[in-house]
Amino acid sequence: MYRKTSKDKANDGKGRNKISALMVPGMIMVGVCGYGLTGCGGKDQLMKEAGGEAALYDQTYDAEEGEAVFIEFDHTLDEYEPAKKEYNFYFTYKTVHPWWDAVAIGIEDAAKQYEEMGVTINYEYLAPNAVSAKDQTERLLDASERGFDVIGVDVADVKVITPVINDLIEDGQKVMTFSSSDADKEDGCNRIAYVGNTHNYEDGAALTEAMCEKLAYQGKIAVLVGTREAPCHEDRALGVQDVLSKYPDMEIVEIEYDEDSVEKAYEYTKGFLQSHQDLAGIVCCNMSNPVGAARAVLEAGREGKIIIVGMDHDQEALRYLRDGVIYALGVQDCYSIGFDTVQVAVKIADGCLPGELYPEKTEETTTIIYQDGAKGMLQVLYGEMD
Amino acid sequence: MVKWIKDGGTEMEQSQNNGIKEKEKKQTITYAVSGGIIIAAIILITMGWVSNKARISTKQAVNRVSEFYLEELAGRRAQVVSEELKNHFAYIENALTVLEEDDLKSQETLRRFLGKVRELYGVDKFALVDENGIVYTEHSTTSGLSRYNFLAEELTEPVISTTNLYGARKQVVLAVPVENISFQDSQIKVCFIQINIDEMLSSLTLQTNSNETYCSLYHRNGEDLTNNAFGNLKSGTNILAALLEAEIDDGFSYEQMREDFTNGKSGEIAFTYRGLPETLSYIPVEGTDWMMTILIRDNVISEQISSISSGMMLRGAVQMIITVLAMLVVFSSLIRQSKKNARIQLEQEKADGDKIRAAYAQIEKEQAAMDNIHAALRSGLWSMEFNEKAEIVSCTWSEIFRKMVGYENEEEFPGRLESWSDLLYEEDKEWTLKEYWDTVKDYTGEKSFNVEYRLYTKNAGCRWFHAAGRLSRRVDGSPITFVGLFVDIDDEKKMEAQLEKQKADLEDALAAAQHANRAKTTFLNNMSHDIRTPMNAIIGFTSLAATHIDNKEQVQDYLSKITTSSNHLLSLINDVLDMSRIESGKVKIEEKETSLPEIMHDLKTIVQADITAKQLEFYIDTADVVNENVLCDKLRLNQLLLNLLSNAMKFTKPGGIVSVRIIQKGNAPDGWAAYEFQVKDTGIGMSKEFQEHVFEPFERERTSTVSGIQGTGLGMAITKNIVDMMGGTISVRSEEGKGSTFTVSLKLRTCSGPVRQEVVPQLQGLRALVADDDFNTCSSVTQMLSIIGMRPDWTTSGKEAVLRVRLAEEQNDGYAAYIIDWLMPDMNGIEVVRRIRSIIGDGKPIIILTAYDWSDIEEEARKAGVTAFCSKPIFLSELREILESPFTVQSEVDSAAQEAISFEGKKILLVEDNEINQEIALEILGEVGFVMDVADDGAVAVEKIREAEPGRYDVVLMDIQMPIMNGYEAARQIRAMKDSAYVDIPIIAMTANAFDEDRKAAFDAGMNGHIAKPIDTERLFELLREILK
Repeated sequence: MYRKTSKDKANDGKGRNKISALMVPGMIMVGVCGYGLTGCGGKDQLMKEAGGEAALYDQTYDAEEGEAVFIEFDHTLDEYEPAKKEYNFYFTYKTVHPWWDAVAIGIEDAAKQYEEMGVTINYEYLAPNAVSAKDQTERLLDASERGFDVIGVDVADVKVITPVINDLIEDGQKVMTFSSSDADKEDGCNRIAYVGNTHNYEDGAALTEAMCEKLAYQGKIAVLVGTREAPCHEDRALGVQDVLSKYPDMEIVEIEYDEDSVEKAYEYTKGFLQSHQDLAGIVCCNMSNPVGAARAVLEAGREGKIIIVGMDHDQEALRYLRDGVIYALGVQDCYSIGFDTVQVAVKIADGCLPGELYPEKTEETTTIIYQDGAKGMLQVLYGEMD
Repeated sequence: MVKWIKDGGTEMEQSQNNGIKEKEKKQTITYAVSGGIIIAAIILITMGWVSNKARISTKQAVNRVSEFYLEELAGRRAQVVSEELKNHFAYIENALTVLEEDDLKSQETLRRFLGKVRELYGVDKFALVDENGIVYTEHSTTSGLSRYNFLAEELTEPVISTTNLYGARKQVVLAVPVENISFQDSQIKVCFIQINIDEMLSSLTLQTNSNETYCSLYHRNGEDLTNNAFGNLKSGTNILAALLEAEIDDGFSYEQMREDFTNGKSGEIAFTYRGLPETLSYIPVEGTDWMMTILIRDNVISEQISSISSGMMLRGAVQMIITVLAMLVVFSSLIRQSKKNARIQLEQEKADGDKIRAAYAQIEKEQAAMDNIHAALRSGLWSMEFNEKAEIVSCTWSEIFRKMVGYENEEEFPGRLESWSDLLYEEDKEWTLKEYWDTVKDYTGEKSFNVEYRLYTKNAGCRWFHAAGRLSRRVDGSPITFVGLFVDIDDEKKMEAQLEKQKADLEDALAAAQHANRAKTTFLNNMSHDIRTPMNAIIGFTSLAATHIDNKEQVQDYLSKITTSSNHLLSLINDVLDMSRIESGKVKIEEKETSLPEIMHDLKTIVQADITAKQLEFYIDTADVVNENVLCDKLRLNQLLLNLLSNAMKFTKPGGIVSVRIIQKGNAPDGWAAYEFQVKDTGIGMSKEFQEHVFEPFERERTSTVSGIQGTGLGMAITKNIVDMMGGTISVRSEEGKGSTFTVSLKLRTCSGPVRQEVVPQLQGLRALVADDDFNTCSSVTQMLSIIGMRPDWTTSGKEAVLRVRLAEEQNDGYAAYIIDWLMPDMNGIEVVRRIRSIIGDGKPIIILTAYDWSDIEEEARKAGVTAFCSKPIFLSELREILESPFTVQSEVDSAAQEAISFEGKKILLVEDNEINQEIALEILGEVGFVMDVADDGAVAVEKIREAEPGRYDVVLMDIQMPIMNGYEAARQIRAMKDSAYVDIPIIAMTANAFDEDRKAAFDAGMNGHIAKPIDTERLFELLREILK
């Protein structure tokens, strides 16, 4: 599910339960275009719909306050009654990074609410300091020997991790995926469920659409991606490429992977700027991309002339957005990812399979925000003012 | 007519009067109504004016009060928050203190511990973080490096953090660094707790339906730290950003507020935000970067003011009317009542006055009694008041206390702590003040102030005081009032000290007595053994001699052993008696002109035989001695040196070294000379413990049974006593197994001035060579040679001496005199002389310097080329004499003179009442040629002398203690014989009365000499030789 702040987008009124929960009374949803429910169509279909104005959710506004509301932190557990009084979960994700800290807060709040109803959730939520499929494999194998009720993984590399997950499932382990990267049936993975961003492709496509509109559908574009084989990054990159391929006056001049390193993103962008004096825009597919790209563009004194769009809520990136160096950012609802992951894990631990109680893919929203929403975002997330 | 007129007039008048009255009545009513209206109007106008003024004043007052109220509210809440944070830091410390090894065994035990702590302290999260940034909590293990910014670098001090929470409900994180805790092979580096800030603030919030007052916390950058709305500001709104849009009231400034926030200062601002006028008060929270804010809507204040004002006006009007009416009623009744009251009051006042006077009298009485008590106890009151920070705000010293320390008034002794503390005795000041402040700052209230210390008083010097006090405290434990009492305990302290001293003295005396008792017991035991041992030998060998009387050689051997044992027994007895006499004060120091060289040579002569017999190396030398003749008790000086030397020899094994050195020090006043006599040995040494008692009587480190060395344990005590009597000091340095050095320092009066220091003209500039293996001798002799003008060289090697002589001759700068030690390790002195003579030929004097008897080698030495012998230690006068004068062999002359005197045919009258003693004396003296006559008593002797023809006796040997006439009397009578040839006959006391006073008594009685029993035959012969010479 995706939201964006474009005020000219019409609200199609397809607010799912999830969306309804996110909208506080009095909010005005401007131009909400929803993409289906959990398990919605494949990439082709998504592309097709994303090609127009689909898959975009607007930044929402508090009508009274005129301030943006992006993330709602007041979640409550659904009515499901856990079968046990205590659960042990193991979650591992790509790398230690602030993005996953926001996910952790959702996990914490869910565990706390379970505790208030007398159910104890014990969990480990650990990751390496740099993305490593090998490390993730070791962590999963280690966890499988420690008797956890459910193992959750944010897939670092679909090709490497899918067979590991399948082996664990065969051994009787209950494995789910969560947060940013899934490995699903199409990838040959037998994981039970996924909670997180199900629309990375659409995210990439929507951001690119926003940029193309700004550039009047012409110009040379460079693409920065995060980690190779990381599903979320690759999907977004695919979305970017598909959108750009639609416009004959637009051209992808370079694609680089920064391995989730701001420094590398910065260096690659400097290279883009040197190689392509007429570069018109940069699309960034992860959290580190836009920070490095904006730094280099600012340093070159070409801010405003090169349109940057990117992902996530990094504080520095939000500042660049506020200052007009970055044009748009797609902010994911990390908190909900964490909260829902725990709810789904409890049900999986109780032996429930996807169906009525929870979908195979629990979809979380992404919101595109622009310069006018940056200040509010900085205040809400980081308490920052001018 | 008149009447009519009168009547008519009366009616008319009455009518007119009525009209007038009516008119007057109307006028009165009119006046009354008008007046009433005017008064009412005045009252109403006044009331309105007053009410308006009151409303304005009330508004201003309410506003001021509101401001104060807000400021106070904010301040108190900031304090509560600050305290709350401090408490939570304390929780962390407490939890870490109780964390045990068992809790760190596994993840389960650690989680259990963390859960207990979290539950105990009611915090959201209690966590430990390891060196890898892994965060352990009750239910989770997570990576925390990117989430908790304080983990970015090593934590060195406690921090408070609220960042990186991504807009979720705000949490406060308090983190502290941790050391020395490890979990699963990783070091725990940080411990933190997470607090729900809303819960922390819940008790501080004032917001109700009817009272719109808000409380919140913001970071100094304006970031909202709470999760609640703040007035019109939504949760999460940056207050500094929000107020940019607000309309700020006159007299307030947004920039000032922003600056206050940045700098953490308190302040206030009134503004209209989104149409609502509001007032905000803010104050920094101590220990954080937070600002506590209180916001109140102005409508609350204005409504309150309107309500108050209208109420006031209505109440004022009603109150006015009621007041007027009441005043009338009350006034009239007051007048009536006043008289009655005045009377009652008068009586009451009188009664009260009596009571007050009585109360005052009672208070004065009690005060006087208290003053008397304080005066009797020598005590004075003091009191101090404190503010909430435990700072003194007032200090009161009672007059009695002031007077106790000698000050008359507050000007001299002001009401401040320093008046007292500045007078504290230096040694007591620091800890007394520490006790004082520790008590004040002990918020638990458990500590009490109870000290004894010294204080400088104005007129009575330093005195002891006892101070005790109690504190009343606020709820938080901070002090309010400290009241106490000073008591002068100086007399008690002095008495206590005196008693302590007496006790110590008594204990010392007891210890000394016990020690003396033990020592005497030990002594008696030792003496019993030491006396019995030689006695056993004497009796045993006497018996053996009697048995083998025919075997001359055997008998001689027995007699020799008997002599040895007898001599030892005698020395024991002498020591015991000497000590006894010294202790009873009977020994006196008699100063006579004494030659130090003579003493030293005598000393050497006396010990030489024993040195040789024990195969010891012996060195004796001098250093810097320029005053050779002094006034001192030669006998006692000899005795003490001999004691030291005997001891040194006694405790040094064969092959060891014994040395004696006399050094003149340069620190004596005019007419005096300071000497240091060092007696050193390489013997068995002493333990440190024994060194402390070595000069005490009856002390021996080992008994003779153990050591095999005989002694009374009195020698050193006697020596020490002699040194004391001579005004000197004695010390010892010793190490077990290495030897001992005894040093006697004496200041003696000089009697002949220093030895001549001038250069000997005929020797000036000539070279001299000193060869001695003892460096001290080389140094000493070289120095003397320099004094007399020669150019000395020295060497400790005989071979090198020969080489030097050869070299000097080759350089035509030969030596004019040679002083060579007899015994040198590499080449003996005779050989050195022989080789030198072979180089230099005859003519130059070569002197052999030796500490030994040279008679055995004299002939060989002279053949080798020795010019003269010189006995160690050599003194400057001797060296000068020997180099100045033609060399002669003094010893030969002396020897010849000694041999010249013969006892053959000399006649002695032996006066002795004891037959055995008679026999011994007759035997000894008869053998050397004396012709003996015997008198059994003094009276008989006097008679024999009186009747004897001239030449009948050459000398009288007189016993002292005899039955009829003692020796003294007999001597006196002989000296009193006028016209007798024997009036001047030499009389020698030969007696067991061996002490100095006996000797003196003998001389006083006219005798010429004194020799003690048992008879030392050599000494007796020497004395006789001298007298008969």
